[in-house]
Amino acid sequence: MSGTGASNLSLSLSAICRSFGPVQVLHDIDITLAPGEVHALIGENGAGKSTTMKIMSGYLAPTTGEVRLNGTPVSFANSQDAEARGVVLIHQEFNLADQLTVEQNIFLGHEKRRGLFLDKAAMRAETEALLARLNCSVDPLARVRDIANADKQMVEIAKALSRNAQVLIMDEPTAVLTEREAETLFEQVDRLKAQGVAILFTSHKLDEVKRISDQITVLRDGHVVSQGVASDYNEDQMAEAMVGRDVSSLYPVREGEIGSDLALEVAGLTVPGFATDISFTLRRGEILGFSGLIGSGRTETMEGLVGLRSASGAVRINGKDVSLKSPRQAQAAGLCYLTEDRKGRGLLLDKGMRENLTLQSLPDFTRLVIDQGAEDAALTQAIEDFDIRAPTREVAVGNLSGGNQQKLLIAKVMLADPEVVIIDEPTRGIDIGTKQQIYEFIHALSAQGKSIIVISSEMQEVIGLADRVLVMRSGRIEGEVSGAEMTEDKIVRLAMGLSAQKEGAA
Amino acid sequence: MKFTTVTAAAMVAALAAPAWAQDTKVIGVSIPAATHGWAGGMNFHAQEAVDRLEEVYPGLDFVLATASDAAKQVDDIEDMLATRNISALVVLPFESEPLTGPVQAVAESGAWVTVVDRGLAVEGIEDLYVAGDNSGFGTVSGEFMVSAMPEGGDIVVFRGIPTTIDNERVAGFEAAIEGSGINVLAMEHGNWNRDDSFTVMEDFLSKYDKIDAVWASDDDMAIGVLAAIEAAGRDDIQFVLGGAGMKEMIARTRDGDAMIPANVTYPPAMIATAIEMTAVGLTSTAPVSGTFVIGSVLVTQENAAEFYYADSPF
Amino acid sequence: MAMAQMTQTAKISVDLKVLGPILALVALIIVGALLNGNFLSAGNISNVLSRSAFIGIIAVGMTFVITSGGLDLSVGSMAAFIAGLMILVMNGLLPSMGAGWPLVMVGMVTAIVAGTAAGFINGFLITNMRIEAFIVTLGTMGIYRSLVTWLADGGTLSLDFGMRSVIRPIYFDGILGVSWPILVFALVAICGEVVMRRAAFGRHAAAVGSNDQVARYSSVNVNRVRMMTYVMLGVLVGIATIMYVPRLGSASPSTGVLWELEAIAAVIIGGTMLKGGFGRVWGTVIGVLILSLIDNILNLTDGVSPYLNGAIQGVIIILAVILQRDKKAEG
Repeated sequence: MSGTGASNLSLSLSAICRSFGPVQVLHDIDITLAPGEVHALIGENGAGKSTTMKIMSGYLAPTTGEVRLNGTPVSFANSQDAEARGVVLIHQEFNLADQLTVEQNIFLGHEKRRGLFLDKAAMRAETEALLARLNCSVDPLARVRDIANADKQMVEIAKALSRNAQVLIMDEPTAVLTEREAETLFEQVDRLKAQGVAILFTSHKLDEVKRISDQITVLRDGHVVSQGVASDYNEDQMAEAMVGRDVSSLYPVREGEIGSDLALEVAGLTVPGFATDISFTLRRGEILGFSGLIGSGRTETMEGLVGLRSASGAVRINGKDVSLKSPRQAQAAGLCYLTEDRKGRGLLLDKGMRENLTLQSLPDFTRLVIDQGAEDAALTQAIEDFDIRAPTREVAVGNLSGGNQQKLLIAKVMLADPEVVIIDEPTRGIDIGTKQQIYEFIHALSAQGKSIIVISSEMQEVIGLADRVLVMRSGRIEGEVSGAEMTEDKIVRLAMGLSAQKEGAA
Repeated sequence: MKFTTVTAAAMVAALAAPAWAQDTKVIGVSIPAATHGWAGGMNFHAQEAVDRLEEVYPGLDFVLATASDAAKQVDDIEDMLATRNISALVVLPFESEPLTGPVQAVAESGAWVTVVDRGLAVEGIEDLYVAGDNSGFGTVSGEFMVSAMPEGGDIVVFRGIPTTIDNERVAGFEAAIEGSGINVLAMEHGNWNRDDSFTVMEDFLSKYDKIDAVWASDDDMAIGVLAAIEAAGRDDIQFVLGGAGMKEMIARTRDGDAMIPANVTYPPAMIATAIEMTAVGLTSTAPVSGTFVIGSVLVTQENAAEFYYADSPF
Repeated sequence: MAMAQMTQTAKISVDLKVLGPILALVALIIVGALLNGNFLSAGNISNVLSRSAFIGIIAVGMTFVITSGGLDLSVGSMAAFIAGLMILVMNGLLPSMGAGWPLVMVGMVTAIVAGTAAGFINGFLITNMRIEAFIVTLGTMGIYRSLVTWLADGGTLSLDFGMRSVIRPIYFDGILGVSWPILVFALVAICGEVVMRRAAFGRHAAAVGSNDQVARYSSVNVNRVRMMTYVMLGVLVGIATIMYVPRLGSASPSTGVLWELEAIAAVIIGGTMLKGGFGRVWGTVIGVLILSLIDNILNLTDGVSPYLNGAIQGVIIILAVILQRDKKAEG
């Protein structure tokens, strides 16, 4: 595809500044991506990582400063221009056409032709070769909307590879991947690196950064605050550079008391096609972790529990039998589910914070008509309680940063005043400073006597937060760990079905 | 509804009596669907003629198809030719141009072609042309206006859907009132529709302080006009002249309603004339080819009773 | 995306979105007043408002359907069918009940019940059977249109003359010189505006139209909200028909032709988003008035060939929508 062929490229930013209107978001950024090197760009949400990547890949032009390819100043007309020169950005929000197949997506916009017609055979062969290279088993004919997030990530990378990318910029490639999938990705990254591809990636997972990067650049408030060889940093140093303060104690100390009465009892819950015979209990004030690989049925189990999917089984809340056929019934019974997909299922991105905050508990604000004064008061309270930072109260929530969206989503669900709340991936794609805050909120809620289920793909998160962890595999509970047994090794073994002893499973 | 019963009956007959079914000649009738009052009347008369003639002529079979637009009508005619082996086609074309080719194909297949009301774009295709007289309709209307308003006066004119028919009527009307002292204040399209003409008349009444008479040119439009006048409480309008002979309006003329002193016929029953003449042509030696013009007649209180068809929906 | 830029353009577009339809309406009123002295007369204003009432009442309901991400193409045919049904019921009961207000009430109840049922059928097929709204309502559009043609035997269904004088006041009379259709339209519009802006139902409709998954995950009964928008529209079509029948006392296959498109056009001119998620009832009212005024002004003026009426209408509709666009509408 690209005219530059297989020759390796280096891309550098030199004294780049960028302003949006009166607001300057980047100040004198210097970064060099060398062939055969993995460069990690880290920083909190809003530090300027996205803008930097967009300037590198032709989505935005710098206000001042130069972008150089192999030392020659270039000015990309647009992202297609950058791609044609071998610079490809893989978005965190997948840039895939949901209704098209994997194969059609990989070749979207540069389909292979034979004469007037599409050369489907050649495209099929290349798709299969690319997916095999990525160790990805997705069906080339599957529609993208039907495949898992991890597979979508692989399709994005396959798409970039099919364009012969020499500079690959990845925006949080592992945000939606399990550790095993991430490992597959890293193997691929190592291979690309060996081929001389220059790679820049961002991640909030500092252990990953440590694992694969050669160079590190830390951004804070649009400035490069630290830059150097990766081996010179440890994780604490990275975090401190990003946040500007000490964040070594990421997980708060358990303060609340776990009650003795059972808030939630689930017996024999089956969600057809996703989960079978799930049984567990949750005590008042307890934080229960749910772990397992992506696709192990954690999310579907919880969606079945709150009536978002059809499911069978017995559920008791506070000792009373309940039948939960819809989220409304679950909410009325004191059980709420907070989705992992905050943009697609959690928030109305084109609406303001007030509408979003009260959507789930609108009847509480309505007598004959909605009491907007009460809504405003609730928003003021939520902004204070959850430290939501927005430029104005009227801003469409799609324009908030991921961390603030997540805080608003938590505020929204907590406004419905549930006894039991299920939080699915509480900190996906969120910077470390905000993560710390969200962990504090979760602990504060449990101290108030709320019972909480946390689903997370991040092993550390589950271990750091939960009192007990249930591990799911292939739609079943594989085992339970608690206390000193809560180690990554133990959980991974259960998640992958390697554990000889299966204790505590329902 | 009835179309299916006709075809079903024909099929039953064909199955039950294959011996004489071969001799049965099929006449196809293709007309526009009943989307406004006049067309509704025309549908009624076509149906009635078909029912009656099937009784009279055992050797004739009829296929009646109604079309909601010109393209559908072309499809109907092609289907008749391809699947029903018609010996004759009676067609009231939706529009002249698009129907000319398909009807010509029917004529070239050797079938008899009767065209009703609207002529085709090419002359000489049809064996029989049963024509309404649109120009005459306008002329008769204009002449009545002149006789009713010997001193002249100010009128407003309602036109139908923009078509050749409408243009011919208006041209005939304008020629008839020329030099009579009748002044046309405004013309606007009421689209042969009650609601549209009600709205237009409301606006005419706002616009003009004095209107002596209205040529509504169609009874549906006249009903809308009358309702608007009544609602505005205006008494300067002396009369409204409609047209096409809707039975409700004919009755009011018959009963001496001063606002509706007359009507001008444009009988929807001309389709029955055409079907009947075609049937005669197929079953006898009586000559029926050529052009048969059904003139537009002035209906007044004296002769209104003759034009009142109690059974017709129109 | 940079937040500062986004919020700025958002602010400008909000202002334009609010002002666009109002500007178009004011411009039309000025043009009308300049062209004809009678334009601002009480009689003409009353005429325009009364005749706007049918489409207007329907368009208020359509605003909710479109806001929740739906569409209803069947309303014009539905109105014709309900009108036909109402006339047949009143004619049929006339000998036993006699001409009077009880019979009018029966007619009204018939219209409301039929409208509710028709809306329910649309809603049921769309929400429970999960068929595209476009296809369902295209289907029912054809069904109602041919049912009224069948009921009328291709001709016109006319209310018995005895009843006409009894029912006439519903369209032509009023209180303090304001006719009933105007009053009912105003009442429906005000209620619609309050429900859209201040009631949970309006908020839920917008949420469903904006992202039905988010609504579902937020404990909103998405199917019920969708269903209610169609039922509400059906009821409003019934109310519009109650206003319509007394005017001419008849219904025919040409009754209500293209009302659905006029109603949808009015909704969009008013600033409601066709893809759903945001609706504005007062905007719809302005949209309806703009459409009526264009016709009225064209009828009141000379010099424009009536053949061009449709073209002028089209240009003004497009201009009214362009006025509310962001200036920098980039891809």
